[in-house]
Amino acid sequence: MTEATGGQPPEAAVAAAPGREGPSAGERFINGILPENPIYRQLLGMCPTLAVTNGMQAAMTMAGGVLFVLVCANILISLIRNLLKPHLRILVFTLSIATFVTVVDRFLAAYMYEMSKQLGPYVPLIIVNCLIISRCEVCASKQSVPTAIGDAVGQSLGFALGLASIAGVREILGSGSFFGIRIMPAIWPDWVIMVLPPGAFITLGLLMGLVNWYSARSKGSRG
Amino acid sequence: MTERRESMKDNYIVQAWLVILLSLCFGGVLAGVQIGLSQRIADNKLAETMGQIPQLVPGAEEAASREDEVAGQRVYRAYAGGEQIGWVIPCGGQGFADRIELLVGVDVAAEKITGLYVLEQKETPGLGNKIVEDGWRSQFAGKTTMRGLAVTKAGAKTDSEIDAVTGATISSESICQIVNQSLEKMRGGLIAAAGKE
Amino acid sequence: MEYIGTLLLIAISAALINNFVLYYFVGICPFLGVSRKVDMAFGMGCAVTFVISIAAFLSWVFTTFVLRPGAPLSTWIWQAVSPGSQTVVDLSILNYIVYIFVIASSVQFVEMYVRKFYPALYKSFGIFLPLITTNCAILFACLEIMKHVSGVAAAEMWGLDKALTLAIFGGVGFTIAIVLMAGIREELDHCDVPESLRGAGITLIVAGILAMAFMGFTGVDRNLAALLMD
Repeated sequence: MTEATGGQPPEAAVAAAPGREGPSAGERFINGILPENPIYRQLLGMCPTLAVTNGMQAAMTMAGGVLFVLVCANILISLIRNLLKPHLRILVFTLSIATFVTVVDRFLAAYMYEMSKQLGPYVPLIIVNCLIISRCEVCASKQSVPTAIGDAVGQSLGFALGLASIAGVREILGSGSFFGIRIMPAIWPDWVIMVLPPGAFITLGLLMGLVNWYSARSKGSRG
Repeated sequence: MTERRESMKDNYIVQAWLVILLSLCFGGVLAGVQIGLSQRIADNKLAETMGQIPQLVPGAEEAASREDEVAGQRVYRAYAGGEQIGWVIPCGGQGFADRIELLVGVDVAAEKITGLYVLEQKETPGLGNKIVEDGWRSQFAGKTTMRGLAVTKAGAKTDSEIDAVTGATISSESICQIVNQSLEKMRGGLIAAAGKE
Repeated sequence: MEYIGTLLLIAISAALINNFVLYYFVGICPFLGVSRKVDMAFGMGCAVTFVISIAAFLSWVFTTFVLRPGAPLSTWIWQAVSPGSQTVVDLSILNYIVYIFVIASSVQFVEMYVRKFYPALYKSFGIFLPLITTNCAILFACLEIMKHVSGVAAAEMWGLDKALTLAIFGGVGFTIAIVLMAGIREELDHCDVPESLRGAGITLIVAGILAMAFMGFTGVDRNLAALLMD
C-alpha cells in the first residue's frame, strides 16, 4: 500500500523549518495539495477515487464528506494527543472516524437524499479510507491543533483536486456533461466505457502516468 | 521495578477512562443525530414513492394516498376527491445487469396501466439506461393488464405490446416481466378479496 | 433446487459478475500493493477470504439480533426496562462502529491464529496482515449484508446462509482478481514499460482491461436463474 513508486518520499517535499517539531500549518497545507497529494503521490483512498468519479457532483460530495471527517478527526486527535499512548491509539482513531462518518452519512441521507443513494456504500467506506487514519497518525497525534487543521484542509483539497481531475475526464468523455450540464456537442458519441469500471481504472492509470512523467521532467530540467 | 509496573497500570487506567469517556461523548452525538434526523430520512424515503403517485395515477392527490397490503404485497391506494381512483404497486426483479425497482400505477379495477416509474436500476448507461426516460415510460399508460405485456421490436400495435428500447431488448423485457408478475399477483389478490365479500 | 439456485446466484454474482475489486472498487489498496508475486497474492486472498467470513458472520449476528429496527434482543431488553412500550428500538445508527470493531477483532483473531500455527507464513506476511483491517472489501461485505437485513421486510431478509455465501464468494472473487493481476504483473516484469507508468500506472491500466473482460459475465446470472428456477 505504501509502495509509492514513481513518487517522492513525503518528507522531502517541503523541509521543516529548523527548531520546529515537524512542518508548520502552512507547510502542511501546501504539502497536501500537490507534493504529497493523497491520490497521485501517496496512493491512498483509491476505493472512492475509482468508485464515485463517474460524475463531478458525486465526486465533489465525496470530497466534502472526506473534508468534514478529516478536519473533525484531526482536531479531536490533536486535542487529546498527549493522552494517547501506543496501545489504544488505533482504537481511538477508529472510533472517532467511525462516529464522524456516521454523522456525515446521516446528514447526506437527510439533506441530499438522491446523492446519498448514488454514493451508496462508499460514504461508510470513508471509515477505512487509509488517508484519514494516516493523517491522524502522521500529523494530528504529534502536532498542535492549528497544524492539524492546516494538514487536514490541505490533504482534503489535494484529494478533491485528484477526484476532480478524474471525474472531469470521465464525465466529459463518458456523458458529455460537466456537473450534469451537457457541454459536448450533440455529435459527440458518449464514451460509455468511461463511466463504467474499466474507464475508471484506465483513466486513473493514464493520469498517474501523466503526473509521474510531468514531475520527472520538471525534476530533470531543474537538476 | 514496581514503580514502572504501577505507572504502566496507571497508564492503562487513564486510557481505559479515555476510551469510555470518548465512547459516551460519541454515543451522545450519535443519539442526537438519530433523534434529529431520523424523521427527515424516513420522510425522504416515503416521498420517493408517494411523490410519484400523482404522476402514476393522473388526478390523484398525494396527501390522500394510503398504504395497504394486497396478496402479501405492499401497495398504495390513490384517491381523488375522497374516492379511490387507482393503485400504485411497488415491484422489482432482475434486470439485465442488476435488480430493477419499479412503481406501476393502475386503475381501480387493476385492468389498465396508468403509469410506470423506475425507482432504481443499474442497466448499461446509454442503452438499458433509457428505460428511465419519460418518452419510453409513457407508452405504458393505457396498456391492458389482462393479457400480459410483451416486447416487440417492430412497433407496438396492440394494447398489450411494448416497444423495446433500441439495443436494450433484455432490459425492456425485464420490465415487462416484472410488471406482468406483479399485476398477476395483484389481480389475483383483488379477486380473492372481492370473492370473500 | 430453488434454494441451491438462489445461493448459487449470489455466489456467482459476488465472485464474477459483481466482482468486489473489478466492479465495486473495494480492496484496491492491497490489489495494487500485494499483487507482485502469485504466491503472495494467493496468500493475501486466502487471508482476506478468511477474515471476511468471520467478520460477515459476526456482523450478521449483531445486525439481526441487536442493531436493526425491531431487533429481538434490544427489543426484549427495552421491554424489560419499560414494559408495554410501543416504540420500535432502532440501534442502526451504531452499525458502522460495530462493524469496524468486528473487523478489527476478526483481524486480531486471524493474526493470532496464523502466528500460532503458521509462523513462517506470519513472517512473510509482515505488515500486510494487520493492514487487512483497512481493506474496504471486508467493510463492504458487511454493508451489503446490512442492506439486505436492516430495514427490510421479514420475508425478504437474508438469513445467515445467504450472508455467508456473499461474503465467502466475495473473498473468492477478490482472490481471483488479485491472483490474475499477480500473474500478469510477473510477466510484465520482463516487458519494457514506460518509466512514468511503472508500478501503479500500468497496474491500473491492466486492471481496466481485466474489468472489461469481467464485464462479459453480465447477464450470466439472469440466464442461470431462468435455467435453475423454471
